[in-house]
Amino acid sequence: MIEVLNLVKEFPKKDGSLFRAVDGVSFSANDGEIVCLLGVNGAGKTTTMRVLSTVFKPSGGTATIQGYDIVSQPEKVRQNLGFLSGDTGLYNRLRAREFITYFGRLNGVSDADINARMEEMAELLDMHDFLDKKIDFLSSGMKQKVSIVRSIIHDPQVMIFDEPTSGLDILTARNIVSFVRDCKANGKCVLFSTHIMREAERLADRIVIIHRGMVLANGTLEEFRAETGQIDLDDIFVYYVNQSNMEEELSADEF
Amino acid sequence: MNFKKALIVYRKEMLEMLRDKRAIFATFIIPLVLYPLLFIGFGFIMSRQTEILEERGANIAVVDSVGTEISAQIMENLKGIENFTLLPWDKSTQTLMNEGELQAVVSITDSITTHGYQVYKVQVKYDSSKERNQLVYGKIRESVARSKEQSISAELQKRDLDPELMNLINVEAFDIASAQKRLGSYLGMIMPYIMIMMLVAGAASVASDIVAGEKERRTLETLLVSSAQRKELVLGKYLTIITAAMANLIVNLFSMGFSMQYMLGSQELAMGITQMPITGFLILLAAMIPLATLFAAVLMSISTFSRNNKEAGSYLQPVMLISMLLGMISFIPSIEINNLLAWVPVVNIALLFKAVLINEYQISHLLITIGSTIALDVAAIWLTIKLFNTESILFRTDEDSSLKHARKQKGVLFNGLNGLIYFALMLVLMYYLGSYLQGKDLLTGLIQTQVLIIALPPLLILKVFKLKDKEILRLKAPRIRELVFVPFIAISGAILASMLMQLVDFIYPLPAHYLDQLGGLVKMSDSIWVLLGAVALAPGICEEIMFRGFMMRFFESYNRKTAIVITALFFAIFHLDPFRLAPTFLLGLILSYLTLRSGSIYNSMLSHTLNNSLAIVISAFAGSAWLKPLLSGDEGFVWWLAIPAAIVLSLSLWGFHKVTADKNEEIIQLS
Ligand SMILES: Nc1ncnc2c1ncn2[C@@H]1O[C@H](COP(=O)(O)OP(=O)(O)OP(=O)(O)O)[C@@H](O)[C@H]1O
Ligand SMILES: [Mg+2]
Repeated sequence: MIEVLNLVKEFPKKDGSLFRAVDGVSFSANDGEIVCLLGVNGAGKTTTMRVLSTVFKPSGGTATIQGYDIVSQPEKVRQNLGFLSGDTGLYNRLRAREFITYFGRLNGVSDADINARMEEMAELLDMHDFLDKKIDFLSSGMKQKVSIVRSIIHDPQVMIFDEPTSGLDILTARNIVSFVRDCKANGKCVLFSTHIMREAERLADRIVIIHRGMVLANGTLEEFRAETGQIDLDDIFVYYVNQSNMEEELSADEF
Repeated sequence: MNFKKALIVYRKEMLEMLRDKRAIFATFIIPLVLYPLLFIGFGFIMSRQTEILEERGANIAVVDSVGTEISAQIMENLKGIENFTLLPWDKSTQTLMNEGELQAVVSITDSITTHGYQVYKVQVKYDSSKERNQLVYGKIRESVARSKEQSISAELQKRDLDPELMNLINVEAFDIASAQKRLGSYLGMIMPYIMIMMLVAGAASVASDIVAGEKERRTLETLLVSSAQRKELVLGKYLTIITAAMANLIVNLFSMGFSMQYMLGSQELAMGITQMPITGFLILLAAMIPLATLFAAVLMSISTFSRNNKEAGSYLQPVMLISMLLGMISFIPSIEINNLLAWVPVVNIALLFKAVLINEYQISHLLITIGSTIALDVAAIWLTIKLFNTESILFRTDEDSSLKHARKQKGVLFNGLNGLIYFALMLVLMYYLGSYLQGKDLLTGLIQTQVLIIALPPLLILKVFKLKDKEILRLKAPRIRELVFVPFIAISGAILASMLMQLVDFIYPLPAHYLDQLGGLVKMSDSIWVLLGAVALAPGICEEIMFRGFMMRFFESYNRKTAIVITALFFAIFHLDPFRLAPTFLLGLILSYLTLRSGSIYNSMLSHTLNNSLAIVISAFAGSAWLKPLLSGDEGFVWWLAIPAAIVLSLSLWGFHKVTADKNEEIIQLS
């Protein structure tokens, strides 16, 4: 369960002023639900997720993961969170198995549980061929699978995947998509981001459209269709973006 | 904090390190191969070279202008030297000598003493810059010494005296140093340096990779989103660096020991090393652990601060260099550890090491050394954990850098970098020109130093850059209610500073001439007014212009505290006097605060002048009864005075703080 309330993240700019990458974002994601953060490049998806992962401290607002506050209980949050993004790299000098074991142990999982889980996941994601290879020699799809196993080795209730399928071929991507569905079936709470409309359409129970650090819309695809009169998510997305641009112009005109 | 997690991190880091071929090569292969090659090869070449020199012998020109039995004897002995060719002296001798064909020219002359004895002089002309010639000269000397003995003994016999008379007085030395101590003094000289070098090199080889490398390879975030705490990550990595440092040390020592033993063969040093019990080695190694931890902590904080391996490498370099320079202190023969030096990191371990080897050290040295090292250690680890919790440091992007601040102010005169450069230049100028000026006539020299070196450059710079000097230097009249507090601050501050001085004296007894330097000045000058002008008023004005007026401006853009501390530190260093560092620093803090807080430099000028005047007056009237309680002496210093002084200082500073409104002065830009 994720609850985000008025989350703000600012970065200092070169000239010393502040830039709001996340500007008052609120949404929630329940157990057994897949929520998608949808937005263009630079919309603030990754930044929002990094704040939720406790790697960044919020400049304002709050959020809880499984009821734990991201600022005051960061360790608890991380214990209940599986996190994956483009910035969570792998140790090239380790073998895939060692890498996964390392993070399992760091998260306090017993070796027996690590092995059992790794076995199960290897089956699911078809990883047996490269589990004992050095990560250095793996392809990016293989690495992504290793990363996924790494992120959920401690069986967290909440999962945050930042563009989990980016750069992957269609088969591997499907593999991962079906894994995310499995997670949902097991009652987990999944938040993932993408800028691929198809993926959001197919996978998400609810979509949060985020643009320039702000939430433009939050609902199911059906709700969006009803509200906008558009069928395609592409068109829905553009509709909301145009609407926000117009509002901005209007408010600019007022002054 | 869960130590098990730290151990998990440690084990993984070690595994990664062992997989890194480069690290393995540097830590194990190079030392194990290099030293034997170096020592054995070097030893071989050296002994072979000496042999070659022997075989080559020498050409020397000789001229005997006396021609007696004795001079003939000298010539005879010279001829007898193996592989030596004697040439008669002629016109070509000088050219041959210049061309290096001749190794030496020997001429024998004589003279008659007042008692009518004929005495001989053997003159050897040679170019000592060539090693071969030194060898030749040694042989000639030996030969002449033999001739001398033979001739004197013959002469004694001629006069019916016992030739044994030659040995009337003999010197015989008994070295009471035990073999262990002798060995210790050799080893004490080189070993600390070598060990420190290896430790820091070993630590540096992994330190940059361990955090900065993770940033570069984008694995840090993976680590940070695990449920491990930051402290646990830091601890695990820290242990890894310590292990690398110690491993490097042990491997190097091991390899070096064996190679040296091989090279030196039966020589005393090598015998000593082999005779040294293994427990001795272990103790020495254990002694290096605190230092290893210190290096690990410091290097790790640097690594955490850096964006990538390359940046870390460039920051680590100076740290390594400084450590090595500090370690070199063991080469200086007369320096021994004492309670003051025991506080200086690296130096203390080097000297303690030396002292332990010859078994002459006090428990206090040991405690201070270990204690201060661990304190620094803890501080560095604390800093690393803090950095690990600072996202702007952990996720520094390529654009912003540590010098962001300095770069942002490019084209602005008053930035930290310029301040540092200016200070360094002035320090050099002070060191050379200042001591030159004061060497001629102390009193005039002091005034010249103040005016020419200290006050003039800032004024000139401000003129050249056409800056508003009045505003920059804060030449602004102080308010009466500020000035009221200044004397109290100055006097109580001076008393506290002199207490600090006494404390330094207590820990590290100062040289006697040092304490009455000022007294000497007082005696020298005829008038106390002249003295007050030179030693109180001139510094009060000139040093304030340089430090509070000018220097502080360079650092004000950071924040006020930084500006005050850095200015005070520079002020203390500028006095080029290690003993007075602490008291001067204290004064610097107070003076910088006065100016920055009130926006008027006249406050600190007054305080500075009062402070120095007080010192002079005390020295001048040292005999007066009313000053007795203020003075150190045989009766001992009055320690309790520190308490009222501290109270007065705090109260008057508080008062000053109250009456000065906080003036937010803008940074003045170069227009
Ligand atoms: N560490 C940082 N420092 C400064 N600015 C940052 C930092 N991280 C992100 N930003 C800025 O915040 C904004 C949002 O970036 P973010 O990475 O969250 O976008 P995104 O929605 O994930 O985009 P993408 O689809 O390209 O991944 C961008 O303008 C980016 O430049
Ligand atoms: Mg992103």
